[in-house]
Amino acid sequence: MTATVTPVPPESTGSDASKTPVNSKTPADSATSVTSASAGAATTTTPAPASTDAGPGALRALARHRGRLIGVCTALALVLGAVLLGGGGWPTSLAVDLSGPLDRTSDWIIDNRDSHPLFLYFLGHVSNIVVVSVRAVYLVLLALGWAGVTAAAGLLAWRVAGVRLALTSVAAFAACGLLGMWVPTMQTLALMVVAVAASVLLGGLLGLAAGLSDRMHRILRPVLDTMQVLPAFAYLLPVVLVFGIGVPAAVLATVVYAAPPMARLTALGLRDADAGVVEAATSLGATGRQRLLTARLPLARKELLLGVNQSIMMALGMAVIASVIGAGGLGDRVYQALASVDVGAALAAGVPIVLLAVVLDRVTAAAGERIGAPAAHRSALVRNVAALLTAAVVVGGRLVDGLSWPAGWTLDIAEPVNRAVDWMTAHLYSGVPLVGGTADWAGHFTTWVLGPLRDGLQWLPWWTVLLAVGALALLIGTWRTAATAVLAMAAIGVLGVWDPALDTLSQVLAAVAVTLLIGFALGVAAARSSRLGRALRPVLDVFQTMPQFVYLIPVVALFGVGRAPAAAAAVVYALPAVVRITAQGVRAVDPAALESARSLGATGRQQLFQVQLPLARPSLLLAVNQGVVLVLAVVVIGGLVGGGALGYDAVFGLAQGDLATGLVAGAAIVCLGLMLDRVTQPTQRRDPAGKGA
Amino acid sequence: MNTPPHTASPHTATPPQASGESVFSVRDLWKVFGPKADRVPADQELAALDAAELRERTGCTAAVRDVSFDVRKGEVFVVMGLSGSGKSTLVRCLTRLIEPTSGTISIDGEDVLSMDTGRLRELRRHRAAMVFQHFGLLPHRTVLDNIAYGLEIQGVGRGERRDRAAEFVTKVGLDGMEHRRPSQLSGGQQQRVGLARALAVDPEVLLFDEPFSALDPLIRRDMQEEVVRLHREEGRTMVFITHDLNEALKLGDRIALMRDGRIVQLGTPEEIVGAPADDYVRDFVRDVPREQVLTVRSAMRPALIGESEAGPALAPSATVHEAIEAVARTGENARVVEDGRCLGVVDHAGLLGVVAGVPAATGKAVA
Repeated sequence: MTATVTPVPPESTGSDASKTPVNSKTPADSATSVTSASAGAATTTTPAPASTDAGPGALRALARHRGRLIGVCTALALVLGAVLLGGGGWPTSLAVDLSGPLDRTSDWIIDNRDSHPLFLYFLGHVSNIVVVSVRAVYLVLLALGWAGVTAAAGLLAWRVAGVRLALTSVAAFAACGLLGMWVPTMQTLALMVVAVAASVLLGGLLGLAAGLSDRMHRILRPVLDTMQVLPAFAYLLPVVLVFGIGVPAAVLATVVYAAPPMARLTALGLRDADAGVVEAATSLGATGRQRLLTARLPLARKELLLGVNQSIMMALGMAVIASVIGAGGLGDRVYQALASVDVGAALAAGVPIVLLAVVLDRVTAAAGERIGAPAAHRSALVRNVAALLTAAVVVGGRLVDGLSWPAGWTLDIAEPVNRAVDWMTAHLYSGVPLVGGTADWAGHFTTWVLGPLRDGLQWLPWWTVLLAVGALALLIGTWRTAATAVLAMAAIGVLGVWDPALDTLSQVLAAVAVTLLIGFALGVAAARSSRLGRALRPVLDVFQTMPQFVYLIPVVALFGVGRAPAAAAAVVYALPAVVRITAQGVRAVDPAALESARSLGATGRQQLFQVQLPLARPSLLLAVNQGVVLVLAVVVIGGLVGGGALGYDAVFGLAQGDLATGLVAGAAIVCLGLMLDRVTQPTQRRDPAGKGA
Repeated sequence: MNTPPHTASPHTATPPQASGESVFSVRDLWKVFGPKADRVPADQELAALDAAELRERTGCTAAVRDVSFDVRKGEVFVVMGLSGSGKSTLVRCLTRLIEPTSGTISIDGEDVLSMDTGRLRELRRHRAAMVFQHFGLLPHRTVLDNIAYGLEIQGVGRGERRDRAAEFVTKVGLDGMEHRRPSQLSGGQQQRVGLARALAVDPEVLLFDEPFSALDPLIRRDMQEEVVRLHREEGRTMVFITHDLNEALKLGDRIALMRDGRIVQLGTPEEIVGAPADDYVRDFVRDVPREQVLTVRSAMRPALIGESEAGPALAPSATVHEAIEAVARTGENARVVEDGRCLGVVDHAGLLGVVAGVPAATGKAVA
């Protein structure tokens, strides 16, 4: 199926080759990822240590030996450090305890929430508007009744996306009711409607500003770039600090999280508008406003709809996670169920989330694809009949059996699922002959991989960690990315959460290693065998639309709780993106190069290692970058299922009202995200030559 | 022998309609791209540098250098040059789609460079419409709405502009395609839409920026004939940019040949082919079938006694090609006759001289 793959890396077609929407779990669409890969290839023509800023001739020799230079400097610094700084974790003298001031801020906000003018005249109104509008949408949805909502969803899907998706939508909503999740689904939907509307508006306005003004573009781009690599979890704490736990905080976190893709894509669409068309409009005497309304915005419609699609998907992901700060709805059911390790209940709430995600994604994506194709002429008669039918269903539904899903029609899957899980616990967890058991695997993974890795990282002198971060970032990126990465890592130490951060880092590294191992293998295999590629595609499509939160359910069922399941969820979450980018990168390798290798008699192996992989290097680097950022997002959420470390601190802070701990952990998560992104950022992404960095 | 390249009196306001008046009058026009571009035209020394030296010295590129010309009412004025010669920049300067660096441009005597935005918009809306190489159509609109787009920008109501656009659909031969999208049309058809869009605003001047370069040769010929036809029917002033010499010769009443931002020769096709101003132009026109461009005037010699009565008669505007045909058919020398008066005679020697590109023994003369 072609209508599927969603969100395209926002700027992948532009100068900024490969900045994909990391958090949204929805990277590359085949076409754009190919361009992103080839754009990347254009910027990094020399494979090995590429020269940075095309300096004058004297620097070129230096640049050529960059790898060696970095190695020598690192070795020197190692010796110096060992002599001057000694070993051990982050020195306490360099740490700053922020809990005091943060507590005071938090207390001040709580004390003044009802009296300070800032709250009375601004934030209070914001909060009220959010509550009222969510409530209003919720009431409307309830008033429509289950029959009405289902029929309306079907009708809408039919209008924008055709019969097949209409049936899918109807079936999905029916399934939500069938699982006994009608009310939570409506709660989540109400929250989503408000949050998406707000984030599309906000993102659209920001994108408009960035699309029309170069200066705004220069200011906004790094901010949006950074926002997209931060784990969803990091957004929760600041809004809770200001708004307290509840619906307003959840909605606002969702809005802030979901707005960047809309802003990026709007700006991209406006900037990439066919210059010839815009010039033609100017030549006919169009004013700036006419140009915008009649040419630039319509030309950007595809990007705008893609932005809406991405915003919706990110909003859904966040709306589910935001159950931790009082969003209610489906996410809350999953959250509660996971807290008591009730896999059956979690699954009953998780399935509607997945269905909602698939329907929302496919319908909006299909709407985007329809653009450009001439509108199918449906007769007004058919349309009216359909609308009438919906109205009839609504009225009929109300007359027959009220509004809520009929109680007799539900299917309780929690119990059978739990029985199955119990059976698994009894039979598969351990002691299966030869292969061991899932719990054994998890145990071994923790004992032999996660444990040593964590201990090793924590044993390393703090300055060697900084050094390693800097050297790695330099090898892959530029001086600037290296500086940012080192500063971010140092900030973690200063915040006083060095050890938990390294714990999180160890989980990330282990999960990334597994992800890349499987992902590269699968990606290469999918690129070389078109049959496997075709078979994988729908699977990847579905996996890429699911919110991160949902992945916790099966791993808890399989592996119990702890650090290993968190890492496993991260692997599953990051895998589709890595597979897809790898496969596209390998497939996009210049066929002429491959053909010439084949004509020289290269074996399949030689072709792979001497032609395909080296030429796909930019894509592979991008896959690493995506993998790292996606893994981090889930490892942090793993705090909910016993992952410990920073994620746990954040959850603990939220749950106990200990915002200082939570905020510090949140800030450390941000720093870790920044560091990991910058370290793996492919070379020259921010090359000054690549216009307007 | 023909009119000098520049007609005089550009700046005084002149009433339109009078044939021979200039529509556009361009003087000393410069367009320099790069940092502090202003200083280049102002500085004698910099202005004299060639492109490579200028870039070396200032980092600037002069796309248009010290260009002056007039576009007369009702003529097809062709600007011809290879890519990078500055011709596209030049035509964009005319309506300030690109802001010129220095010089003056006037349209019907009104200074274009001093226009405020409102006046400039007025100019673009009503007086000069442009046809682009890559069409510049709105992909989300139908053919009809694309053609009506200029009118929409002017604020014409939907019903009226669609009615008016419908006329132009017929005029450019797109009947039955009103409701298609540009993506459903061939390149030639798309350019017809672009042409109709420009015509629909009823501009005083049509500006063409290499409109047919992106089209297949056969389609291109159709479109060129379309332009010739339109010009014959409406007599609208046209400024036509092209890199195709044959196209220039076919369409142009006068041709300005550009090289490195300068006009190296300005004249009728016959002047360009018959009397190249320098080696560059000579080289350029070397492969042109001269007999199809030059008129019998260039092969004519004074009539000897008795010759002015015998032989086939030709108009002075007839091409040498036609004269060859007449001479070959009848076996006699042909007379060039205007208003019943014999201007001269063309014979084998004269005609062969033109084809060979050497002055015949009896050659030119008698204007």
